[in-house]
Amino acid sequence: MRSWLPVLRDRRRYIAFELEVEDRVKRGDLIGEIRAAQTSLFGDLGAAENRLRIISFDGRFGLLRCTHTRTEECRALLATVNSVGGTRSAIRVRGISGSIKAATEKYIPQSILQPDENKRRVDLGPVSGSVARVIGREIDLCPDDRKMTEGSGTRYVGLTSFDLCGEDIDADGTSDGL
Amino acid sequence: MNFYECNLHTLPDGSDSPSRMALAAKRLGYSGIIICNHTTTGRAFGFDAAKLVGGIEVVFGAEIVATDQRALHTKAASLRDRSDFLAVHGGDEKINRAACEDPNVDLLAHAHEGRAGIGVAAAKAARDNQVAIGLDLGPMIRLRGAARVRWMELVRRDLDLIRKFDLNLMISTGAKSHLDLRSPRDLVALACLFGLERERAVEALALPESILALNRRRWASVGVELL
Repeated sequence: MRSWLPVLRDRRRYIAFELEVEDRVKRGDLIGEIRAAQTSLFGDLGAAENRLRIISFDGRFGLLRCTHTRTEECRALLATVNSVGGTRSAIRVRGISGSIKAATEKYIPQSILQPDENKRRVDLGPVSGSVARVIGREIDLCPDDRKMTEGSGTRYVGLTSFDLCGEDIDADGTSDGL
Repeated sequence: MNFYECNLHTLPDGSDSPSRMALAAKRLGYSGIIICNHTTTGRAFGFDAAKLVGGIEVVFGAEIVATDQRALHTKAASLRDRSDFLAVHGGDEKINRAACEDPNVDLLAHAHEGRAGIGVAAAKAARDNQVAIGLDLGPMIRLRGAARVRWMELVRRDLDLIRKFDLNLMISTGAKSHLDLRSPRDLVALACLFGLERERAVEALALPESILALNRRRWASVGVELL
């Protein structure tokens, strides 16, 4: 890095975030989307004041850098990101810290859950389809009826294991059990 | 402070089941969610499953969709006893005004969807009838460019009215999917962008809880409670 007078050095904050997304996205697409959201919300002038940089992104968790006085503005602009590369997504800010080390240690978990790849069927009367993935109790369902997700722009229907349970906690609505 | 997301749409209005919304909202730091499906769509799906989700309160309200004032007042009167929370699907100038004039209504949701906003007469009525005005931040997240500029102009103007008449304000996203949900802090940051004070925004997110508590008391008639 270029040397600078210590008294003139700018102060920074690091924003750890999690990308919630229906499919895998490319790092380049995310960067483009954040830049577009930033210019759209603040214009070139405001965007220059934020000094936003993307430090790292591993497909789910990532780290951003911004000026220490503009963290609220950055939080707002990250909230306006609603799709990345044409896939519906949302950015959740996990925490803000003063150094890369602290932000990584505090807010980015080291083991990442892998999405479930097996296709399983769910049939619950009005809602039926195949399971796209399962994360903990949350289930993304690819519906047979495409009209079900009309209006919200999403590809999957979001369910939980509670929905499959019915009366009995142990029983569930899938053909081979979750 | 207990934050509530006051205007969510689940299956068949949106694309998520109530329990999925509840899990997502719990992770984002909400204490409760109020699901307001439109009165024109079918029965809610996964009603009982949502009650199994711990650590978050799931309330089923209703959002009245009406084409004229009379239909709105009739629906509001009939739904009042059956639901803890009553919202009105706003956007149209006449409907916005009629909702503000109805003391049965708790929330005028997405009043800024169309080009109307609320206006002075409706604001005065909302103050007298204690109808909260919903600031739906969905368009702020969804729209870009000229459409968002128009929407922000409208909201800025109405925020002046809300301040002038000291109206109740609620902030929501009007989410139809868990990907539309935003955390309370994100919503406060967004609201601050167009000149809403931070304390006011925090208050607006906590307001639904006190309204729910009021509605759950057993009112015999206006101002008379059954103990």
